Amino acid sequence: MKRALALAMLMTTAVFAQSTRVASDFEIAQMQKQLAQSHDFNSQLSGHLNLGDLRSTRNEPSLASGEYRTALTIATNERLAARRASNMERYAYATSYAALANAKLGRAGDALSLSDEALRYVSDSAKTWNLRANAMTELRMPKKAAGAARNAVAIAIAETAKSPTVANEIDLAIYRYSLAIAIVDTPERRESERLLAEIITTLRGSKFDALRKEIARGESFEIYSTARGEADAYNSLLNRSQLLLASLYEERGDVTAARGVYRDVLAARGDDANALAALARLASARDDRDRYFVEAFDANPFSIELIREFQKAKRAASADESTTGSRVRKALLAMQRGEHRAARTTLDSLVRDFPNNDVVQYLAAMNDAALGDVDRARSRTIHLSELRSEVNRRIAAAEEPAPAFLRSGSSATPTAKELRTLIAMFAQNRLTPEQRATLDKVTLTNVASFDAPTPGAPGTTVFAGGMIEGVPFTFSEPTAFQGTLTSPLRLTYRLLGATQKDGADALLLEPLKVEAAR
Amino acid sequence: MKRVLIIALLALEAVAAHAQSVASTSAGIVVAHNNVIELQGGWSVPGPRNPGAIIAGESRVAVLDPIANEARIVELETGRVTRIETAETPIDGLFIGRDLYVIARDARLLQRFGADGTKTSVETAADPAFLREAAGRIYVYARVGGVLHEVDAARMRITRQTNIAPFATDLELDERNAYLVYARAAKMRVIELASMKPGEEIEVGAVPVDIAFVKGATLTSARTLAVADPSAKRVWLVEGVQSLTQAAMRGFFRGLLGLGVFSGGSSQFPTGVDRVFVRGDNRIAYDSSTGTLYRFTKSRGTPIAKEVGPHAFALTPDGGLVWWDDAVRRLQKFAD
Repeated sequence: MKRALALAMLMTTAVFAQSTRVASDFEIAQMQKQLAQSHDFNSQLSGHLNLGDLRSTRNEPSLASGEYRTALTIATNERLAARRASNMERYAYATSYAALANAKLGRAGDALSLSDEALRYVSDSAKTWNLRANAMTELRMPKKAAGAARNAVAIAIAETAKSPTVANEIDLAIYRYSLAIAIVDTPERRESERLLAEIITTLRGSKFDALRKEIARGESFEIYSTARGEADAYNSLLNRSQLLLASLYEERGDVTAARGVYRDVLAARGDDANALAALARLASARDDRDRYFVEAFDANPFSIELIREFQKAKRAASADESTTGSRVRKALLAMQRGEHRAARTTLDSLVRDFPNNDVVQYLAAMNDAALGDVDRARSRTIHLSELRSEVNRRIAAAEEPAPAFLRSGSSATPTAKELRTLIAMFAQNRLTPEQRATLDKVTLTNVASFDAPTPGAPGTTVFAGGMIEGVPFTFSEPTAFQGTLTSPLRLTYRLLGATQKDGADALLLEPLKVEAAR
Repeated sequence: MKRVLIIALLALEAVAAHAQSVASTSAGIVVAHNNVIELQGGWSVPGPRNPGAIIAGESRVAVLDPIANEARIVELETGRVTRIETAETPIDGLFIGRDLYVIARDARLLQRFGADGTKTSVETAADPAFLREAAGRIYVYARVGGVLHEVDAARMRITRQTNIAPFATDLELDERNAYLVYARAAKMRVIELASMKPGEEIEVGAVPVDIAFVKGATLTSARTLAVADPSAKRVWLVEGVQSLTQAAMRGFFRGLLGLGVFSGGSSQFPTGVDRVFVRGDNRIAYDSSTGTLYRFTKSRGTPIAKEVGPHAFALTPDGGLVWWDDAVRRLQKFAD
């Protein structure tokens, strides 16, 4: 099938799928415009698939599903129309896209069956095999995806050898990218890295000089998962290949190479959310990290990966409300400081602006639970199962009854669950005056693993914090203990409150005594 | 690291869409649906989540799951079920005796699961798509690779193979020849099994995609094949390889008869048919785009059922047709 009719399908790997810029606002607007102006099958189908993918990257699953369902309906109608018109190539093409839309909706059986049906007619089409690979990657079936992608590559290599046009070269690069994605999480990841490097080298080669000039003249920069035309395909493929290659470098610890490739991405598109988030993650200087975080949040405020990265450490920066990204950062900073009422104000306004966004709803629900408002936390609409489960766990912790020693006032050895309940009670401000008075008196004892000691006076060991039963703790200030001590130790302490340590909820303790753990 | 976390987030919705598969066996009709495998009027055992092809043998039946990469082998007499793991994407199979042979498309393997529990395999060229048996030998056609492998079933090794045109849409064998049909070329190509060499090329219709044997050869004519052609919206009846005598007696004329068309020229298959099945005088055509089953004769095509899954029907030895009606979750039967 020729490029004029074809959509060049580019899969997003999961790493990138989550965070594109709120500049995806621009791509969304472009796709909506395309849907309004062009009513042919390709325009309608690619428009809805791209909108679905863009919504998905913004963690708006209900909107994404709606777009994929529409794409499926369009493809299904086209299948029947093609059959009535006796156009079997058109039928196979529409059937491939019906398979892909089903895959995006998580319907594995229908996706596989429709993909098989398309291949009955056009098993000589690299594009059709590539669409199958895309569908299988969507369904997290890497071996099936790799099998299909290898067929696409084999067919395209033969076609390109016969006719080495720019269009065929781009197609081959797209199919190699699909193969790279399919095998990236398998033992064949070195092949994936080699393929990506090869794609980038090819795309930067002199063969594409004319296309690059055309892209520069047209100021094209959009990144789509279903790209139409060579310029969009070139931009999208180069962007995605570089991001995936950089993430592979990063995962194997080659930070310098990773940074270099992420910067290459930014050279072509300065607001690429994935590259900005990665550079924030990899920054060694605090100023650089803060700057990249600001830019990354502006580019995609709804990336859960970015939010988790941000929450890993206590951030001292401040945020205004000038952009959606800064509003999200403002809420996160307030939550980190335990200012949950202030965070609620910011989050409620975000929920009003983005009611279908699961990440915004999730943050609001987590904040509700921290405030002890479990009913409201429960009422938030969250479709993504991982986020919903996390909220449910937080609600369950918030609903735990107070530990028994808060009633008895006697010394105790609290369990991990009791310690976590206490953290939640502090965070939700639901300790009664009586319970607070009891806590001031009661002494608790646990075996603790301490963090590496800091230097102190000779004959002493200085500890600042550690872990009890997997729960992080910190002292109100580093404390020197007599003797040269080695963790783990038996720690007797009073509980002062809850705090955060490395971005996680932690206990604030007053140490009373340490002794060898028996 | 990050990738693993995000993969879970991307699962938008997991819809439990159940496929259904039906096969006619020596013990009766076997249906796989909704995670069970049932012998009509007999046993019911746990089945795979995504039933694909059902392979019927003399004493056993196997239901393939191309998504989960597994097969459930059930003893027809007792209903005793054995679950086996296959290589990636098992799409078709056959029994020779009690041994199950399966092609795994994405692993590029032919696998044998012996009744004694042994498992062996041979590698194939790219995209093993069709598996047939003739005279104790197995033939696997690798569609993208363009290779026809001949496999000694007992020893599980490739005895011969030949490079032929890739991208065929169906393969059938008789005792002497392999018939491959090519949609894009609108041709049927014949491979002589004795020599594994290409023989005749027969032009068939517009977009032929599926073939079935209709009747054997006579003194004056070669054996007849039915060919589904969804573009022409016809089922063609075409003669296979002609012997020299047959050709001489017929004056080298090959018959090509199109079925399913009214005298006015409009088709009885509005969206065409792309699969054809023949058992005795019972001739069935299937339209994958709408899931419509037709019974056809030389003079007419009659729709029998709609929205039937691609594996959810079977011809029975008594000349009937059964299919699974998922709307009422019941097996339906059509007979004259």
